[in-house]
Amino acid sequence: MAKYYDIDDILAEEELVPSVFQHAANEVGLFDSSDDTNKVEAGSRVELPFWLVRELYLRQLISIRVPPCFDRESKTREEIGADAAHVDLRSRCLYFYEVGCKIAPLVGDKTIGPFLLVAFRTRYKEVLIKAHTLTPAVAPKYLTLLTNEEAKLYEAGQSSITAFKKWRMGGPRFQMAPVLGRKRKPT
Amino acid sequence: MAGASEPQASAFSAAELEFLAEDEMIEIVPNLRMDPLNFISGDFGPFRPQIATQVPLWLAVALKKRGKCTIRAPEWMSVDKLAQVLEAERDSEKFQHLPFHYVEIARLLFDYAREDIPDIYMVRSLIEDIKDVRFHKIGTGLEIISRERTYALRLKNLSAMEANIVRPFVTRALETFYKLSSSEMIQESDHIPNRQPQATNRGPRRQLKDR
Repeated sequence: MAKYYDIDDILAEEELVPSVFQHAANEVGLFDSSDDTNKVEAGSRVELPFWLVRELYLRQLISIRVPPCFDRESKTREEIGADAAHVDLRSRCLYFYEVGCKIAPLVGDKTIGPFLLVAFRTRYKEVLIKAHTLTPAVAPKYLTLLTNEEAKLYEAGQSSITAFKKWRMGGPRFQMAPVLGRKRKPT
Repeated sequence: MAGASEPQASAFSAAELEFLAEDEMIEIVPNLRMDPLNFISGDFGPFRPQIATQVPLWLAVALKKRGKCTIRAPEWMSVDKLAQVLEAERDSEKFQHLPFHYVEIARLLFDYAREDIPDIYMVRSLIEDIKDVRFHKIGTGLEIISRERTYALRLKNLSAMEANIVRPFVTRALETFYKLSSSEMIQESDHIPNRQPQATNRGPRRQLKDR
């Protein structure tokens, strides 16, 4: 429960996971809006947020299909294998690593773990170099490729470098406390 | 500390490090007569004209601003010494020994006591060069984290400022690596070539430069 209040952890569980209903369910028509009977037939394919999928799966009401970005025969795997650093993971799954870590034990696919690690390893190097060299003007273009986790890493590297450069450039050593600068209100 | 509320920010800001660096001792030659100063951190002085004495950097700067002393540049800040260090820094994979706060001390002295440092232009560019070489080394050194399992980095002789700059990045990266390579993610997958035995909890410590 260490991450109970972690907003990123909460948002990561919002990611949609394709799943198949094993039983027909009444009163949940909002999941499957193809007709107005307000029920979901057994065997229909629905995309549900991860937090719901986990609970329903543990109760054996649905079965999970591996999301396309983690699937063994998916394009993403091939692309990661080819040139991981330039794959646009952000548009595929903003919380790629987090969701991957959560979903791997559920679907029991043992290749997901190594796959995530390989992806992060190759992309980490790129993030490292970019964080130290990229000027803020070109950064937004690069940031659109990164997942949430990587973007944070990038920000961390980038901000400490800019803070150091700012300090080295000099400027006033003492800053006026915001209270002091305020003009007295006319009474 | 600035970073208490946001975990990804540096533990210190550059200005805070500068503040810490001001406690380093430095030699000054006063040109005033003054009794010893008694502070909590120790007694400094007595101050006699033309008799050198050791004081903390902040006191030296304060006296210098009032024109009451000249600062003697520390020993490591001579052209010969710095040229040596730069040479060694370029040749060797390891980080050379420099004062822990060398970046900050250099900047303070360049700002307040430029006329007291012999060959200031030379010294300044040497220190800049050394700093750039070291930063480059850090950058290339950090790439090896991704090659194998890494749980800790040994940063011998890294200065305060350098460590502070890489801290947010490195801690985050190591955390993610740890999470992704933890035993529940990589289970019974023996086809991973560089898998470490699971029995040892602490993996190998990597030297930052170790090739």
